[in-house]
Amino acid sequence: MSKPKSRQQRRAQERDRAARLHSRPQPSSQRPLVLAAAGVLGVIAVIAALVTVRLTQGGTTGAPAKPSGRAPASVVRAVTTVPASLFNLIGYQSALAPLKRINGKALQKDGKPLIVFVGAEYCPLCAGERWALVAALSRFGTFHNLGATHSSSIDTDPNTATFSFHRATYTSSYLSLDTVELTTNQPQGNFYKPLEKPTALEQQLSAKYDPNYIPFVYLGSRYIVDTVAYNPGILAGLTMQQIAAAMRNPSSPICQAILGTANNITAALCQQTNGKPASVCSSSGVVAAAKHLPA
Amino acid sequence: MTAAPRWLPAWAAPVTLALVAAGLAVSVYLTLVHYTTTVKLACSTTGVVNCEKVTSSPQSMLAGVPVALLGVVFFVVAGGLCLPAAWRSQSAAVRIARIGWMVAGIGMVLHLVYAELFQIDAVCLWCTTVHVITVILFAAVLVAEALAVQAMTDPPAG
Repeated sequence: MSKPKSRQQRRAQERDRAARLHSRPQPSSQRPLVLAAAGVLGVIAVIAALVTVRLTQGGTTGAPAKPSGRAPASVVRAVTTVPASLFNLIGYQSALAPLKRINGKALQKDGKPLIVFVGAEYCPLCAGERWALVAALSRFGTFHNLGATHSSSIDTDPNTATFSFHRATYTSSYLSLDTVELTTNQPQGNFYKPLEKPTALEQQLSAKYDPNYIPFVYLGSRYIVDTVAYNPGILAGLTMQQIAAAMRNPSSPICQAILGTANNITAALCQQTNGKPASVCSSSGVVAAAKHLPA
Repeated sequence: MTAAPRWLPAWAAPVTLALVAAGLAVSVYLTLVHYTTTVKLACSTTGVVNCEKVTSSPQSMLAGVPVALLGVVFFVVAGGLCLPAAWRSQSAAVRIARIGWMVAGIGMVLHLVYAELFQIDAVCLWCTTVHVITVILFAAVLVAEALAVQAMTDPPAG
């Protein structure tokens, strides 16, 4: 009896020894769990750091205003190539201020209906208007050398990012465009530094239909823009790139405001071009806007 | 149903799939809100917590694609990688894809948290819910993978 028992005891001892060996801490096998924990804690630490920095920083953060210059190509591309489907999706926006009906002359230049823009780089309402005007006119032709600027830093809706028509040109088979940017956005004396001189025609039109106010846009014989149709405050703190990106997002108030305004302008322009090009003037968004043009 | 291998934590598939389902549900809701005008976000529209300001901001789109839709894509793919069959798989490609996908998701979360705090200046509670779910999912996947590696490298007991 004692001999088998002794063998069993030895086997039991060996099992115990093996179990003790295996139960010892295995530094290398713990490493994956340590790495996983470090990864998770690292992510939480980064988020906590972001929140802490934001809380200690306080106030709002906005993109700094950029000096005037050439508009970034990506922004020009985004604003001048808005898909017709997006214009149609936005259609008519009832919250926008309507165009003003006039009984004017059908002016022509180079055998095409003449459109006139009078504005200034300091002007925050002009800043809002240019986004829609560029988008609308790009459906009839092509802009070259569009500038980038921002409205005055000391006026309402300060530093609103926008295009500048200073040194920009426009070619179209359907329309001609005259633009004047009266001043820069740099204060000088009691006003702003002069930039371009208006022509006699530009002075005459703005004096007749919208004296002393900018922006003024003569959209042909029937309609003018005497103020921006939406609150440019929605562009506050945004860069041109951010505004251009928002213009492609149909749920964004910026997209609805700018493309809705552009549809109204397009509908008015289509009356000057006798419905050409049909692909633009017969599109559902423009047709919807045309139904709401003041009679 | 096949039992989980001994090296795989039994909770890995059910827990991660439950998180994926929750994240997917919120992401689908945010995507519906983005594409329709009939579905409105149940959330404050004023103050620091302002879902509308966040979901209609320029940062709500990435390369022309709504980030809410990217969230749906993330959770759909994550769902595939967290199926019981995927967890049972010992294929290195599947495991690397699962961890890599989670790292990508966390990268997106960090980018969006930064955008909310420093660019949009508002926080969307629905988006935060998705962010929290993604972080927990990331943690669950990492811990499950770590426990699986540990179990496979540990000598068998007894």
